[in-house]
Amino acid sequence: MSVGTTTDVVPTLEKAKGELEAMARIVESEIGLVARAFEGLAGHTDTILDLAAAIVGRVENEGVSSILPKVQTLGAAARRFIAERLQATTGILEMVTTEVKLLGQLTGVACSQETIALEIKALSVLTNIEVVRLGTIGTGFQYLARELADFSKSVAEDTRELAGHTAVGRAAIEDARRVLSAELPRLREELARIEVDLGNALATVDSSLAQLSRTPMQFRTGVEDIARQIAGVVAAIQTHDINRQMNEHVQEAFALISARMRGAEDSEDGVARELPRAYAGLTIQIYQLRSIKGTVANWTSQIRACMSGILKVSAGEVVGIGPAVLEQEQKVSSQLARIELLERESQGYSERIQRTLGGLSNLMQLVSELLKRSKSIRDRLRLLAFNAIIETSHLGTQADVILAISKSIKEISAAWSQITDQSGRAMQEILNLVKQTNQVMEAFSQARNESLREAQVQARAGLDNLRTAAEFAGRQAQEMKAATEKMQVKIAQVGKTGDLLDACFGRVDAVLTEIESVRLQLEIDQPDVKEQYDAAEVEQLFSASYTTELERDVLRAALRGGALPVVQQMSAGNSVELF
Amino acid sequence: MKRILTVDDSASVRQMVSFTLRKAGYEVVEAVDGKDGLAKVGSGKFDLIITDLNMPNMDGIEMMAAIRKLPGYSFTPMLMLTTESQVERKDAGRKAGATGWIVKPFDADKLIAVMQKLVK
Repeated sequence: MSVGTTTDVVPTLEKAKGELEAMARIVESEIGLVARAFEGLAGHTDTILDLAAAIVGRVENEGVSSILPKVQTLGAAARRFIAERLQATTGILEMVTTEVKLLGQLTGVACSQETIALEIKALSVLTNIEVVRLGTIGTGFQYLARELADFSKSVAEDTRELAGHTAVGRAAIEDARRVLSAELPRLREELARIEVDLGNALATVDSSLAQLSRTPMQFRTGVEDIARQIAGVVAAIQTHDINRQMNEHVQEAFALISARMRGAEDSEDGVARELPRAYAGLTIQIYQLRSIKGTVANWTSQIRACMSGILKVSAGEVVGIGPAVLEQEQKVSSQLARIELLERESQGYSERIQRTLGGLSNLMQLVSELLKRSKSIRDRLRLLAFNAIIETSHLGTQADVILAISKSIKEISAAWSQITDQSGRAMQEILNLVKQTNQVMEAFSQARNESLREAQVQARAGLDNLRTAAEFAGRQAQEMKAATEKMQVKIAQVGKTGDLLDACFGRVDAVLTEIESVRLQLEIDQPDVKEQYDAAEVEQLFSASYTTELERDVLRAALRGGALPVVQQMSAGNSVELF
Repeated sequence: MKRILTVDDSASVRQMVSFTLRKAGYEVVEAVDGKDGLAKVGSGKFDLIITDLNMPNMDGIEMMAAIRKLPGYSFTPMLMLTTESQVERKDAGRKAGATGWIVKPFDADKLIAVMQKLVK
């Protein structure tokens, strides 16, 4: 085929112009959709940023960062609380165990007293018999029989009283010992568990609070990132406009070449003279079309990347804060509840021990009274025995039985004295132990609980703040999620438009192929066409309508036969030059 | 609220300028060419004008020169937003009354920063 006539070149150029015009219309329409979708996306982004800012502000205002030291203080107070009680319980258990033994001794004393009461009763009966047998001589010993009968009765009554109360006291103390014995291993276990659980809770709160404390910085970084992405999209859409103008200039150039070729037909060798200019013009447009292709690829990929970037930053870590923190708050709150339960239980068994100790004190008071009576009985028995022995010495062998009875009374008095002393010692030891136990029980007092209570109040207040902030964050996050879903819809729209634009810009390739084919044919038909044009004239002819430096650089590269200027897509744009 | 007039024959450029300025809290009115811009100026007061250079019906330089003659617009800031960067074109713009020149694409943050200084 020869392209030496306008019949071949002009229709090709007109068809190419038409293709580029159609492409420009579609692109303009699609870019409008992209711009609208972008504005919608930016609106949702503003919503998300406002929500995130509210979360950040709330987290900062609620003093959330102060919860960690409060929980740490609580942990330390709880550990001290349990350790003190553990120590006190161990001490009390030892004392109570001793008290049980001592009460056992008192029970033994009561048994001995019972025996002595029976002996005294037997002696009383014997004395009565002997008094009758002695007749008038024996009347002087009637008092002895009466005294012995009274002693026997008193001793039996006192013994019953002592045995009864001692048994009750002993049962109460045994019960207290059982409670403490069971409590001790449980306390040890609880201390160990609380150490571990509180330690874990503190670690998770610490990490959660560390995450929270990073939130403001992350948020601000996110805001800056989003601003950059938005600037990228704004710059990219403007670059499309530059391409639009370049496209128009290429169409104008095709129209110019076609018009000049038609005009050249009027003269004899007009076409032959015009062909080199046409060739140069086609070369320039080929370069311009390649430049447009490259620039288009840049700004379309920038739009895609920036829009995805906006979505990615918007759905960042801020969204997940609320639920994560709420979970941590619940874990720590459950530890708080456990400590409160422990405190209540501790108070419960401390009250029980106090009651038992109170009962023991009362018992010891009774024992003290009985001891006084016992000492009195001892002294009277001694006196009785002494008097009886003196009386019998006056009567000689007739009063041998009474003498024997008197000696028995003396022995009983000695035995009674021993029992009295034993009771006294046991009672004193128990009283000392009760006193010591009361001192140790101080560990369970309300005053000692104060520091734990205070720590609980502070921790509870801090957790309330944390919960409020977390619940707020959770609600905000729901709205952010809804906004993010809307953004995803917009992004999908942009994606579809992007695919359409890609297909549309594929027309540039078709036009390039046609123009390159025409140019090649020109070279084949007229090999010296490349050297026959005036570069300066061609430059002036085709650059008249140019509005960008890029087009002028591309034109010069085309005329030199050099490489196409590489254009980097601007991520932000140019500054304002003030006059 | 400060009122800004943006003049450009490209819908997408007008959209991006409006988006950027509205985000910064300005009220924005759009015009499609120099003639439309002049008409809008005649029917309302603006605190700043941003205009393209190459437009059909009336280009930006002609429009700016006409606006400068209108009462109340002797000192109104006018910025040229264009693909052109040649010295001769800038001189022409300055003589017509341009306060500043921006080669497309504009940097949103820098544009707002300058506008905040120009429009107080």
